[in-house]
Amino acid sequence: MIRKLAPLVFACAAVTSVSATADQLDTVIQRGTLNCGVVLDFPPMGYFDENNEPAGFDVDYCNDLGEALGVDVNVLNLTWGERIPSLVSGKTDVVIGSTSDTLERAKTVGFTYPYFVFKFQVIANEDKNIESFDDLKNLKVGAALGTTYETEYLAYAEQQGWGKDNYTSFKSENDAYLGLYQGKVDAIISTNTNIATKLRSEEFEDFEAGPYVPNYDDVVGIIAKRDEVAWINYLNLFLVRQIRDGNMNEAYNKHFGTDAPADLIQSLRDNK
Amino acid sequence: MDYEFHWNVVFQNMPQLLNGAFVTLHVSVLAMLLGVVIAILLAIAKMNNTKFFSQVATVWVEIARNTPALFQIYMAYFGLGAFGIHLSPYVAVLSALVFINAGYLTETFRGGFQSIPSTQYSASKSLGMTSIQTYRYIILPQMLRRIYHPMTNQFVWSILMSSLGILVGMSELSGTTQRLQSLSFRTLEFFIVAAVMYFVITKLVLFGSSLLARRLFKGEI
Repeated sequence: MIRKLAPLVFACAAVTSVSATADQLDTVIQRGTLNCGVVLDFPPMGYFDENNEPAGFDVDYCNDLGEALGVDVNVLNLTWGERIPSLVSGKTDVVIGSTSDTLERAKTVGFTYPYFVFKFQVIANEDKNIESFDDLKNLKVGAALGTTYETEYLAYAEQQGWGKDNYTSFKSENDAYLGLYQGKVDAIISTNTNIATKLRSEEFEDFEAGPYVPNYDDVVGIIAKRDEVAWINYLNLFLVRQIRDGNMNEAYNKHFGTDAPADLIQSLRDNK
Repeated sequence: MDYEFHWNVVFQNMPQLLNGAFVTLHVSVLAMLLGVVIAILLAIAKMNNTKFFSQVATVWVEIARNTPALFQIYMAYFGLGAFGIHLSPYVAVLSALVFINAGYLTETFRGGFQSIPSTQYSASKSLGMTSIQTYRYIILPQMLRRIYHPMTNQFVWSILMSSLGILVGMSELSGTTQRLQSLSFRTLEFFIVAAVMYFVITKLVLFGSSLLARRLFKGEI
């Protein structure tokens, strides 16, 4: 008798345990709010607009995602370093924060398909006349702490035997630009998109965009908790639909002033 | 909690973490030594009858004690930067910590000086001691003994506050931890290990200072 009942008991247990562990997708829908983490000092991907409201490409993606899910969107401002703790502690459901998809990081968090591709670039005062990346050898260089371009610069510097003495890291992207503006460093590494935005402002009229970091495409994904596979699956479809439904192009137009370049779309497809 | 700890990546990076811990210890010891010297001078200045000296000391103490450490460090780095004075992150953090340590310790020292009966000053004078001799042989030894414990508290504070060096990109323990965790995203592991390191550093410093006290004050503390 007991032996006959055992499978039934197990089956019941299995059913209840399944319904007891609602996954992230269920949680968000049931809560009715999407907690979406964005780095808001990284224009035009994330910034505060003139009304001090979150704006940018990433914020548009948060809103598109909220609309797709049929929930409200709560945008949380994060620094680069807070992206993972915010996920682990459950403050955010998802971070749309230009996170480079390294295999090392993928051991810890779950990455979606890429949603953007950046180039890493140098910005410096015009009078530094930086022609190639190797011209940085004897200059003071800075970047924001904990970014992939910091890692890439340091790796390149080590490979070339430049050492770390000329390098300064800054707590945030804004601080790095402030350091450059004040002349604490001769040049900083940032992304092509952010540099283009800064160069349009008056403060940086004496500065110019320099060479790209050699041989590096910064492919970035949305991140979520690593074990939330169904949630990541949903996010992947969301990203595919963003391009197919034209939302990606619309957001790109809004923040970059042109249609999304064909090579960017191709790169996103290639890197899936 | 549904989180799997990966400790191996922390151990692989242990040399860098230890290096950061050394910088933390280095900057806070130096900030403490300089702070003590300046604080003694400020405390004497504050009790001085010349208005100029006591006012300088008062302004210093008021600013140091009533504004956040974070603000001081930021001012030393970006604030001076706006005037074209560029301190390295290390020097910026060091000078901010010295400034604050001196401010807090001044009040401690002033209390210490004032706890010593003024009759002792008169007694030294009547023995023909100069005022430097009076401070050197009579007042300072007693004063330091009395304020030794509050002084070590300040030391611990200064070790912990040096973690704000991360704000200006200093590669001390916190800055190094932040950089390493951004590579692997193993935030919890790195932060836990960093916290343990801070704990060990402060305990070592407290232990060292109690040993030193036993030698200096021959068990009278």
